[in-house]
Amino acid sequence: MKCARCLLQLQGLRLQGLRLQGLQLQGLQLQGLQGQSARSAAQHGALLQSSSQPHMLRNTQHQVIRRFHRSPINDKNQPIPAEFIDEDDNKKDKSLVIHDDLFEQVARETKTKATFNKVMEVFIKQDVRRRGHVEFIYAALQKMPEFGVERDLAVYNKLLDVFPKEVFVPRNFIQIMFNHYPRQQECGVQLLEQMEGYGIMPNVDTKVLLIQIFGVKGHPVRKYQRILYWFPKFKHTNPYPIPKNLPEDPVDLARFSLARIADDRDAKVTVYQLPCTDITESGEEITLPHVVGIQSPSQMELLAQHNPNRPVFVEGPFPLWLRDKCVYYYVLRADPVPPEEKVEEPYDPERSLAYPLQLDLDLDRDLGDEESFDVEDLDEGAVFAMCMTSQGDQAVLNQWVSGLQQNNPILGWVPTLFRLEQGPRELQGAHKTKSDHQHRPDPQTQREEEEDEVSVEEEPRRSQEMKQ
Amino acid sequence: MSLPKLARLPSARLLTSVLPHHQLLLPPLSPLTIPCRTKIQQDYRRPGQPRENKYPLNFNFSKGIEGIKKHFTLMKDEFFGRWLGPEGKPLIEHLLEQNLVIWEFRGPESLEQWTVSSDQEIGGQSEAHLKMGRNDNTCFLHGKLSSTIPRDGETRYSGYCNMRSKIPKASFDRKKHYDWSSFNTLHLRVRGDGRPWMINIATETYFSHQKDDIYTYFLYTRGGPYWQEVKIPFSKFFLSHRGRIQDSQHPIWLDKVNTIGFTLGDKADGHFQLEVDFVAVSKDYAHTEEFAYEMYERNPKKDRQ
Repeated sequence: MKCARCLLQLQGLRLQGLRLQGLQLQGLQLQGLQGQSARSAAQHGALLQSSSQPHMLRNTQHQVIRRFHRSPINDKNQPIPAEFIDEDDNKKDKSLVIHDDLFEQVARETKTKATFNKVMEVFIKQDVRRRGHVEFIYAALQKMPEFGVERDLAVYNKLLDVFPKEVFVPRNFIQIMFNHYPRQQECGVQLLEQMEGYGIMPNVDTKVLLIQIFGVKGHPVRKYQRILYWFPKFKHTNPYPIPKNLPEDPVDLARFSLARIADDRDAKVTVYQLPCTDITESGEEITLPHVVGIQSPSQMELLAQHNPNRPVFVEGPFPLWLRDKCVYYYVLRADPVPPEEKVEEPYDPERSLAYPLQLDLDLDRDLGDEESFDVEDLDEGAVFAMCMTSQGDQAVLNQWVSGLQQNNPILGWVPTLFRLEQGPRELQGAHKTKSDHQHRPDPQTQREEEEDEVSVEEEPRRSQEMKQ
Repeated sequence: MSLPKLARLPSARLLTSVLPHHQLLLPPLSPLTIPCRTKIQQDYRRPGQPRENKYPLNFNFSKGIEGIKKHFTLMKDEFFGRWLGPEGKPLIEHLLEQNLVIWEFRGPESLEQWTVSSDQEIGGQSEAHLKMGRNDNTCFLHGKLSSTIPRDGETRYSGYCNMRSKIPKASFDRKKHYDWSSFNTLHLRVRGDGRPWMINIATETYFSHQKDDIYTYFLYTRGGPYWQEVKIPFSKFFLSHRGRIQDSQHPIWLDKVNTIGFTLGDKADGHFQLEVDFVAVSKDYAHTEEFAYEMYERNPKKDRQ
């Protein structure tokens, strides 16, 4: 019971201290000095710069001796220990008490993990009882993305260390039942929820800290247990996983994403142009974008079988999201072949020597063995190649198509039309065309315009061919 | 005991569709208007907002006649369908069928069975639109996600969008359920842009506490120009309530399925798109798993001795 009395005494002292602080503030303001906040800032700054122990006078019972009966005039001469500087006082006129002050001061310097840790250390050393730790932790959780430490488990553990230990552990079944220290429990749960939101797995340090702070029967430990149960179950559910650290180099990123969308392990990635910045004679900078393309052998076969009278389209840009990064790709495709032109090629028996690909048996499947769905088959045109480039205009894509031509000679005499448009796009069909650079949406005049454009398109490409 | 604040807020990790209500008797919309939940205020009521008049008086003679015709036709079909077999199909078909296409997007009328919503219901800034895809053969859900939190003091996370099927209606707007008890896999043909979606299946529940019980699983899209066939066995769906995964798990009961939905809530701001060709269920004889997660009691009461 002695400790409770001590607590009450200290609380009384503290309140008195606060009231005195308030008087000092008012006194200072009367004198026209706005130095209080500046001084407190300076003090904090001094603290932040030096990690030495703040000056504190203690008696033998470890109670802080507070100075009473100080006149405001002498304030300039006497140094104020860190105990007395409470940022709450600076915001006495504001209704909300937030602990952003500490973080804002550090914001003037570079925001790194070291400075974030320093702020936490200042707070921890400031007060043994960690007054206002809940608000401080909420403010810290909010400021984490600015400092770039939101995915750092060590920082979360250090933040959890701010909680005073063993105070919030319930001691009997009634305390367990009645949500002992609900604000602190909710704060702990919010901390864990932010970790969960960023996908960070807590470790054994977190568990030990949580048990020390909240006990085994509290909400934070329950939440920790849930995280540890469900995260491993869903970690490997993605059939197309994306590595956590995507390549920074645009060519490597293009390689990775093209291999992903090609859906074919035989597909080959070719880099047609590496990004470079040229300086011409007149001193202008010309940046050449990277052009990376992909084509698989089955796509090459399809292109070889394509009817040269029908045009092929270069469409794009289509979005591809990799975690939180969006890249754009372009597609070379043709319209679906009308049924009258479809040629059914017989299976080549030499393609598979182990078993026949086609059987001429007259077997009926039972109702229960029907494996296909009763859906109309979507006939979209074949896709012949994909590419990625940073600058998707016609000149660059022309370069890509000429690069493709080396392996697919049919592109030399097939008309190529460009349908480039920004915004959410789907692979277009033959009938409906949105506003594109070459076409009018009227399908009747399409044929004539195609022929017009054919001549325009073919000429520049032929000249390139001759150069090669 | 539970912390009441947490229960009210949608989780960032598992954002699912926001509270559905019964589809009310509303005047039929023209076929090209996609029903949007933001326009129909009655569907999602933010907790704390006053309830609106559920049955506003609006008499329209021609619509009334149309309604009578429609409902009586449905009733007639149901009556005579029973003589054929369960759900209007011969019994042998119902027992033995292995694949059943539930939703197939051929024509603009198919879009009327779906409702699109986004976090604009709670004051956010994401948009979501649904339209027919190329050649009227697929559905195209696109829009823009934005995770700016609405400044109302109580919302913590934002940035989601959702496409949900409507509850099937029998004659006179009675609720009807899908019976998928003879199937064990969900089969979809989609073409996304690489974003991870979530599939939510809501079943018919008895108690009002179970109203927002949804069985969820992930739909990872590959992106790219090729279609993606996704097969998810129903044993993988886990139980979640208002976006929070529950401790006590059980497999989904397929005999009274109400709705299926697709949700996007990954915290990447920007545009998104998803094309769906068809949604079907099938019976995979090779899949023998009953449930993928453990069902033992999570918070066992210790015996005090």
